[in-house]
Amino acid sequence: MELPLTHLKDSESGIIISINPSPRHRHHGHHNRGRFRKRLEDMGLTPGTKLTVVNSAPFHGPIELHVRGSRLAIGRGMAERIQVRVNR
Amino acid sequence: MNQERITIALAGNANVGKSVIFNHLTGMHQHIGNWPGKTIEKAEGTLQFKNYTIDVVDLPGIYSLSTFSIEELISRKYIAVENPDLVINVVDASVLERNLFFTLQLIELAPPMVIALNQMDMAAKKGIEIDHKKLEEILGVPVVPTVAPKHIGIYELLQATVDIIEKGNGTPSRVEYGEEIEEKIQKLSKLVAKLQLPYPARWIAIKLLEGDEQLERRVRQLDPEILSTVEKLSQDIQRIHGHSCSTVITSARYETAGCIARDVQKIVSPMTPPFRDRLHAFTTHRVLGYLTMAAIVLSIFFGIFTFGDFLSGFLGDFLYGFKPSFEIVFGGVIGELIWGGIVEGLIAGITIALPYLLPFYLVLYLLEDSGYLSRIAFLMDNVMHKIGLHGKAFIPMMLGFGCNVPACLGCRIMETEREKLLATFVVTLVPCAATTVIILGLVGAFVGFEWALLLYVIDLVIIFFLGRIAFKVLPGEPTGLIMEMHDYRFPHGRTVVKQTWFRVKEFIKMAFPLIIAGSFVIKLADILDLLKPITDTLSPITVVWLGLPAITGITLIFGVLRKELTLIMLATLLGTSNFSSVLDPVQMIVFTLVAMLYIPCISTISTLVKEQGWKRALFITVFEIVFAIIVGGIANRILLIANIW
Repeated sequence: MELPLTHLKDSESGIIISINPSPRHRHHGHHNRGRFRKRLEDMGLTPGTKLTVVNSAPFHGPIELHVRGSRLAIGRGMAERIQVRVNR
Repeated sequence: MNQERITIALAGNANVGKSVIFNHLTGMHQHIGNWPGKTIEKAEGTLQFKNYTIDVVDLPGIYSLSTFSIEELISRKYIAVENPDLVINVVDASVLERNLFFTLQLIELAPPMVIALNQMDMAAKKGIEIDHKKLEEILGVPVVPTVAPKHIGIYELLQATVDIIEKGNGTPSRVEYGEEIEEKIQKLSKLVAKLQLPYPARWIAIKLLEGDEQLERRVRQLDPEILSTVEKLSQDIQRIHGHSCSTVITSARYETAGCIARDVQKIVSPMTPPFRDRLHAFTTHRVLGYLTMAAIVLSIFFGIFTFGDFLSGFLGDFLYGFKPSFEIVFGGVIGELIWGGIVEGLIAGITIALPYLLPFYLVLYLLEDSGYLSRIAFLMDNVMHKIGLHGKAFIPMMLGFGCNVPACLGCRIMETEREKLLATFVVTLVPCAATTVIILGLVGAFVGFEWALLLYVIDLVIIFFLGRIAFKVLPGEPTGLIMEMHDYRFPHGRTVVKQTWFRVKEFIKMAFPLIIAGSFVIKLADILDLLKPITDTLSPITVVWLGLPAITGITLIFGVLRKELTLIMLATLLGTSNFSSVLDPVQMIVFTLVAMLYIPCISTISTLVKEQGWKRALFITVFEIVFAIIVGGIANRILLIANIW
């Protein structure tokens, strides 16, 4: 099933389906939306990529991911916009 | 022998050991400056190798060559426009796939290059074996395995550099984006080749398809028709692939990087979590992580605070000890001007900035190099979000309690201009050690400790609200946290010491003239008897609005030099250090509140100028003066109405 990344439990894996545009900038033309997505993709979070949630900081803090052999920390707000497919 | 001068640049991801290689290459021949007009550090150095004099430029650590951060823009512009003779791409062997993603982009920009396959020891510890010969074959670029902290491979790296300079690169292999995209790249390349831009045509074509804002602007000025072609072509790609063109291209690059990485590396040992990983899990744990952090941060804070305080006092006493002998040699007004204007400015710089700056840089580089900084950012991200910043801003803020100067400098670790400005602004409001002297020495000693504590709380509340307002007002897109948390490693001592030394040196060169000039102006005004008219002019503010004695105007002016001077001057001018006999509690609280908020000291202002430019430094300074006066006046009225004493 498809979920936002923030709904994954620790040590659960998923495949990235898409990255949703930032709600704040939905009306600002395609550039602002593009920048946010581009940044995540440049860090290796492209559609089809497998990721594993390792840990999340308490009180809605950032999420630690394992992706492409490296360890990434992603702020909650950004993680909410990443849609992933998981087998549950 | 005939010496030939060449320039090489170091490029690569953050935390791949680039600075260690840079320090090995350049030794003590370094110069730390800024990229023109930017708050991004530019480290340059020189070395001799065979019959070459080699200038080395350390480019900022980045993950891509797009337009997300100024670092990325600076790097690609430098490589394409300044045209270094060669680029050394430093690659972290233990995170090969992500690093190759950058390498492939660098190859597209087509400078002569050599790859330093660094951290081979870390990779080996993780059980990763890399066939560097095979990597060299696949990429078509010379690959030199290195372990920078142990000096392994540095000579070979320079040899490979010279070989390429003399014989030239072969043709590096490149990312193939698949038939239908390649055909579009070809088509666009032909169109943009006519524009005579400094970048390779194929690179421009690819970047335009990725929707690169900066190149779009350039091309629009020259030939807007090309952009409509780009639009059409990228829509075609989007239709075929179901994802935006930029996504398709980035994916293809990562795909290639992943294939190459899997091809050349072999995972040899079973994946048992080594000590490093357990340490990581421990330090990011939801309970233990915070406890560890609190312990580390507090000991750093008290360490720097105690050490700085001790050294500052020691240096101050020592240097002021020369005053009597100085006065014997230089008597009269000139002597007063030289001592008060120049020597005291120098002393302010030496006693404020250095005792805090030196340990600050050491600690910052130790934290950064070891990898702990990113763990702190991870843990504190959520808290810092409340004032519109993300986790990385926690470090400069914490250090601001010691001294605002290193705190402002520390704001460099933020990624975008907007965040740097925001963090710098917030940091200048943090009460530093000197402010603490006033808070405790006046309010704490004569009104009550709980009132001193309340002032701290008020300051934190103000920081919170002003931070939020600045966050809303400043234009630009807020960025969340995206960072790599690289494996813990042992910091390389000599690199850390050199990094510290060269930055302190740079600070002295930049800030000291400003500090001295500032002191000189104030002292001159004092000698020319201009201070009295100034306090008279200020009396509507100090006396009427703030309810303070007129004489406090002078002390507040001198507080610009160093904040604890406000208290020392107050004692001198009032003729007593028993402040309760001359000021009532309301006046003490109002005075402290104003002194706490009203202006960054001259050292901090100099740092602001250095980091953010004259305009912003001036704006922050003026804003804080006005703000402090407003807050002070309101507090005065509230306290009078409350009628506590």
